[in-house]
Amino acid sequence: MNISYNWLKNYLDIDIEPDKLSEILTNTGLEVGGVEEFESIKGGLEGLVIGKVESCEKHPNSDHLSLTTVNVGQAELLPIVCGAPNVAQGQKVVVATVGTTLYNGDESFLIKKSKIRGELSLGMICAEDEIGVGVSHDGIMVLPSDAQIGALAKDYFSIEKDIVFEIDLTPNRIDGASHIGVARDVAAFLKQTADIDIIVPNVDLFSKDNDTLKIDVVVENTEVCPRYVGVTLTDIKVESSPEWLQNRLKAIGLSPINNIVDITNFVLHEVGQPLHAFDASKIKGNRVVVKTMPNKTPFTTLDEEKRELHSDDLMICNAEDGMCIAGVFGGAESGVTNETTSIFLESACFHPVSVRKTARRHGLNTDASFRFERGVDPNITVYALKRAALLIKEIAGAKISSDIVDVYPEPVAPFEVELRLKQVTRLIGEELAKEKVIGILEALEIEIHEDKGEVLSLRIPPYRVDVNREVDVIEEILRIYGYNTVPIYDTVNSTLAYERKPNKNLLQNLVSEQLSSNGFNEMMANSLTKQSYYNEDGFYSSGSTVKIFNPLSQDLNGMRQTLMFGVLEAVIFNSNRQNSTLKLYEFGNCYNYNGDSKDDNPLKKYTQKEKLALAVTGNSTNESWGVETKGVSFSFLKAQVENVLSRVGVDINKLEQKVTSCDLYKEALVLSLNDKEIAVVGAINKSTLKQFDIKQDVYFAELNWGDILKGIRNHKVQFVELSKYPEVRRDLSLLLDCSVSFNTIKDIAFKVEKKLLKAVSLFDVYEGKNLGENKKSYAVSFMLQDETKTLKDKQIDKIMNKMISVLKEELNAQIR
Amino acid sequence: MIEKIKGLLKETEEFVVKNVDELEQYRLKYLSKKGEISTLFGDFKNVAPELKKEVGQKINLLKQSAQQKFDELKDYLEDQSDNTEGTDLSRPGEPIELGSRHPISLVKNEIVSIFNKLGFTVDEGPEIEDDWHVFSALNFPPEHPARDMQDTFFIEKEPDILLRTHTSSVQVRVMQNQKPPIRTLLPGRVFRNEAISARAHCIFHQIEGLFVAENVSFADLKQTLMYFAKEMFGEKTQIRLRPSYFPFTEPSAEMDVSCSICAGKGCNVCKYTGWLEILGCGMVDPNVLENCGIDSEKYTGFAFGMGVERIAMLKYQIKDLRLYFENDVRFLRQFKSAY
Repeated sequence: MNISYNWLKNYLDIDIEPDKLSEILTNTGLEVGGVEEFESIKGGLEGLVIGKVESCEKHPNSDHLSLTTVNVGQAELLPIVCGAPNVAQGQKVVVATVGTTLYNGDESFLIKKSKIRGELSLGMICAEDEIGVGVSHDGIMVLPSDAQIGALAKDYFSIEKDIVFEIDLTPNRIDGASHIGVARDVAAFLKQTADIDIIVPNVDLFSKDNDTLKIDVVVENTEVCPRYVGVTLTDIKVESSPEWLQNRLKAIGLSPINNIVDITNFVLHEVGQPLHAFDASKIKGNRVVVKTMPNKTPFTTLDEEKRELHSDDLMICNAEDGMCIAGVFGGAESGVTNETTSIFLESACFHPVSVRKTARRHGLNTDASFRFERGVDPNITVYALKRAALLIKEIAGAKISSDIVDVYPEPVAPFEVELRLKQVTRLIGEELAKEKVIGILEALEIEIHEDKGEVLSLRIPPYRVDVNREVDVIEEILRIYGYNTVPIYDTVNSTLAYERKPNKNLLQNLVSEQLSSNGFNEMMANSLTKQSYYNEDGFYSSGSTVKIFNPLSQDLNGMRQTLMFGVLEAVIFNSNRQNSTLKLYEFGNCYNYNGDSKDDNPLKKYTQKEKLALAVTGNSTNESWGVETKGVSFSFLKAQVENVLSRVGVDINKLEQKVTSCDLYKEALVLSLNDKEIAVVGAINKSTLKQFDIKQDVYFAELNWGDILKGIRNHKVQFVELSKYPEVRRDLSLLLDCSVSFNTIKDIAFKVEKKLLKAVSLFDVYEGKNLGENKKSYAVSFMLQDETKTLKDKQIDKIMNKMISVLKEELNAQIR
Repeated sequence: MIEKIKGLLKETEEFVVKNVDELEQYRLKYLSKKGEISTLFGDFKNVAPELKKEVGQKINLLKQSAQQKFDELKDYLEDQSDNTEGTDLSRPGEPIELGSRHPISLVKNEIVSIFNKLGFTVDEGPEIEDDWHVFSALNFPPEHPARDMQDTFFIEKEPDILLRTHTSSVQVRVMQNQKPPIRTLLPGRVFRNEAISARAHCIFHQIEGLFVAENVSFADLKQTLMYFAKEMFGEKTQIRLRPSYFPFTEPSAEMDVSCSICAGKGCNVCKYTGWLEILGCGMVDPNVLENCGIDSEKYTGFAFGMGVERIAMLKYQIKDLRLYFENDVRFLRQFKSAY
């Protein structure tokens, strides 16, 4: 919303620098988003001077051009070629000299020294529209003969210069949506240190001139139209507004239309009350009815748009038809035209929700609906009506031809609020003197109805729609007192808060730091993704996708069920930019829809799970001297996943490992803890990669972070006495069927020796053809230790012999 | 004799070797069986008895010193031959790559740790929410223009299931599930139905803070935020509060900090105002407390909320929001050394 400084000064006698005023407005809650200079004539007529045409001859090479010499008060006459038919010797004219810029809307035009059909021209004699002082293009502008030669045009014409504040109005501050409203706030602030008051235009002169036009008003829906006020005016001459009025409207960015419309707009921006002028001759039956109309009634609005009304849309009607969508937009039929001679002027108050619903239904947002939606003061309607009527009388020569009709069945009383001074101190944190509080309240036109000592009974004017509770009043006091005036203390008012265990944030950071230290870059992808990633029959089904009702685009119409696709998008994004060696990880939420949920709470159909994704592709290290560059592998990623799990306290020896196949992976391993799947590690298959245009192998792991955190709730690190007795290592080289997994060997080993076996590891693998079909060789080491004594060879041999025989028996292993 | 010992001591101390041969010469000359020190021991029998004690000590010292010198020279030569002659030490080390944290994580961690020091803990809540938690409980009346301030992604309509537009919904959950005093920080991802551009994105991250207890005041809020601003942007940072409007706080304010780039003098980052808009805040509206089952006569509270992307933009001079979620490693790797 724009506020003109010159206009504002009509109500407030101030002379404050615009920057300072801007700061006051912002600090009291009317945030200034921008300050602009306004000139009623663009360019301010810079470079234009008054001249006299000393000679005028026909151009030798043209039928319609003239050669002139013009005296602009300089030593030499200017030769100017002029194309206007009305140019003549002896005229006083406006001359744009060389170097002047002329504006036509957003275009600009620089006057240069030129030759026109061979004749030198040092300037231009201007028409009204060319310099922006009028709209006529019937030839050059001829000034009265007393115009001073050499005078600057900007002095000759009166140019209004103004400063315009663009205020970003918050929805609660509709009281600031007018010049008087803004003046009131500024005055309230200044009153703290100065004796100042706002000056509100007087309407006491309002009186009826005759009784020639009576229009009845009937309000059928008083609940959505609490007040409806009107008056008629006759003998109107519709024409352009006077310059001052045009300038006021132009300054705040409105285009002048005609005097009647301009006055209603002026009063709207002066006091904040939307007005509407109906051509009285179009009001059939001389009757205004405020009511709703049947569903789908056609209605054409002022913009010539044919609309269909909703049965809840409140309408201003005549005896037969609809004339205006109440508080939103006028009709094409009933508005003021150049032929209008009498009007019915409306000043009403409509219900915010009703106006808002109607405006949204029709996709309209007008100056009027903006105000009604936020709440208009029902007690200002008559004042605004009188103010407008008096201006119409003054400017358009009208006669007030009826009494004011005022339908106001239930007058709105001021809000009554009890203000406890103790509460002011408690909320602000600083004790404000009672006189200070009272001073601010009075400056805001809040009436101290009764002073009960520690409690003040207040009456708040209805135009402050947002102030109806004690806390709202305290906000008002603080706003004017100054948010920045409140002191900052040295001691903290705090309470004890206990962190949840395990501390999720801490663990996530530990793991992140570990991965980043190991060369991984943390990434973050959009939670919104393509529904089409999730196929009907895929691992993640389309039925489980959370779908966006009003998506931005088809690419962002669903929520992710896995982090995989976001990661793959990042892989192709980077490999398209010559970065194909990547180690990435992401902590993020994934979402699922379960339509079968029978829970009464519809939210329960949606679940959110925290996951951690790791992906590696390309080489395991960058190319460098002395190091053999090799591709990343499944086992590299697996180690990273195991380290993550180990770091947060998952005993990886207790994990169940199961090979799985799904439509996204070439091969994958599922890790489970207490029968709960906590991670999948695998190589993504070609068909998935192809969807993303990825040509290189990508190893991907996804961890169910939330489940992992649940699984480690009881994790504790406890010191174990260091053994005084040495560990013993025994190695076995086993020839095995390819199908035998290391995990099986490990399980068997720990079954064979529960007590003394401490660790089993795989230290070499050989899979050469010479071993025989489907055979492989594993070199496995076994660490044995007794915490109470040194192990004897005999004992060790016994264990190992048993180990060998069980491995032979159960796995058909051969010892090499 | 004593002079001789002194001379040898000096000689051996000053002996310099360039290679193994010279070291061998040293050994032969002083330490071998036919070396000078052995000769001294041979001559010892001729020393007058009253001097024997003194001379004996001196010869022994000389022998020790010469042997020590030999060991030093030997270590020196070994070190020389072991390493560098001809090796280029400036060659890069093994390619052990260092990864990086995402700037949003970095800034989130920094904010969380500042408020941790003030005794705030962390709570989280769901991103898919209902109308009650995102709007109604937060004092957004139905059909109120304030609902237009945030473009919402809906999942279901009537009853509305939606993606939370702010983390304030978690305030409601915390206040419903915990009893005051409550002192908590609520980080999380939020969603707005806005086309993706350099200056807007459909996802971003917020951190809200909530303090509800007896006698929490606006002055407490200012103090907390001043501490945060100085910790986050430097000790000289100033704050400025402007009245604003949020349905869930009353009074409400926007907070600016003095521009950390130009120290308030005016630059293109602060658009020559000297101030940067950082967060919204206010005193929890009594309606919100009551909606969450908290007695608003007994308790008051403050709340604040900020956008992590916005602060990261200021901190790292990032000018395009899209960079955060494109995951270009050329972007991500720039935060290797950020903390």
